[in-house]
Amino acid sequence: MSNSKGKIEVYNRVNRLKLKAGLSHTDPNAKLRIDPSTVNKADSIIEKKAEAYPTEVKRVLTALHQNWVKAQSGDRKSVPEIMEKIYHNANQIKDLASTFNYPLMQHFGVSLRDFVEKIDMNKGAHRTIVDAHIDVMWVALNENVHDEGDERAQKLKSLVQKAINKYS
Amino acid sequence: MTSSSKNDYGSLKNFTILIAEDFHFMADLLSSMLREFGVGKILLAENGEDAKDLIRYNASGGSDTKPMDIVLTDWLMPQMNGVELLKWIRSSEKDNIRFLPVVLVSAYTSEEVVSVARDNGANEAIVKPVSGKMLADRILHIVNHPRPFIKAPGFFGPDRRRSEREFEGEEKRQSTEQDVKIYNEQL
Repeated sequence: MSNSKGKIEVYNRVNRLKLKAGLSHTDPNAKLRIDPSTVNKADSIIEKKAEAYPTEVKRVLTALHQNWVKAQSGDRKSVPEIMEKIYHNANQIKDLASTFNYPLMQHFGVSLRDFVEKIDMNKGAHRTIVDAHIDVMWVALNENVHDEGDERAQKLKSLVQKAINKYS
Repeated sequence: MTSSSKNDYGSLKNFTILIAEDFHFMADLLSSMLREFGVGKILLAENGEDAKDLIRYNASGGSDTKPMDIVLTDWLMPQMNGVELLKWIRSSEKDNIRFLPVVLVSAYTSEEVVSVARDNGANEAIVKPVSGKMLADRILHIVNHPRPFIKAPGFFGPDRRRSEREFEGEEKRQSTEQDVKIYNEQL
């Protein structure tokens, strides 16, 4: 390695990944390619996994619901830890919904995740907002309400929004 | 043509990629997609702390270890999140850790993710939902278009400027050629 004095350091590294890929690290024309058919296959994995969406969301929503029951009945010291679990549960629901294109569930997942971050557990009104989220998420799952534009979806969204406007 | 059948195009069969993701379902999905691309070895960590242990262990050079090639980390994870993991990687004293290519994966909006990823030294960012093309593009970019690493006050990571275009505005940077130390690694 060569160097000269300075405040900013620039590291031009050998491209080890190209070597590992079996390519010349000095030839700019040698480029790794991923076969487009494997990219299509990777996308088809997402499509196949979509069948598992209702079961997986039910599993995570059940865990979230149970955690919420615990947060309200357990000792106060454990509440922050449980609320963190709820935050991650809500984010997981968001991830599932966005991956498999369920915009309504995605909306509630994000909304609950962001609300949990600033929740004051001493306020009954805040607890009502979480209850409202969990209720509508169960309805969206059980009645397979998919899009945000659907009439039922609008009703569910307005239920949560009313709770937020009234109690937050 | 497949990535493994033609040597001209290289292959990912000798690559080891670490996925740090607390949600098993998503980790499994990413792992299956990488396997389709022909990635030889995929390691899974449930959070940043587990990922740290695996990276440290693999960088130790033991007989049963394989150096990690790319880290794919979710942002939101319990115990230690992806951004904290990224900061730990970039602040390592060891070259085989601090120069590791890192892809930050997140469900946040693209602007937030790109800005946080860039300023903390990630090589690439992916905004969920992840698609096959998105994942393949990021891996290809890391392998085919690596950027030099820059160490500057408050920053260590790949050069945040992605293009070589001439800047036509007024030069406001304070550093001169004397302020820049260049390391050209040779094999």
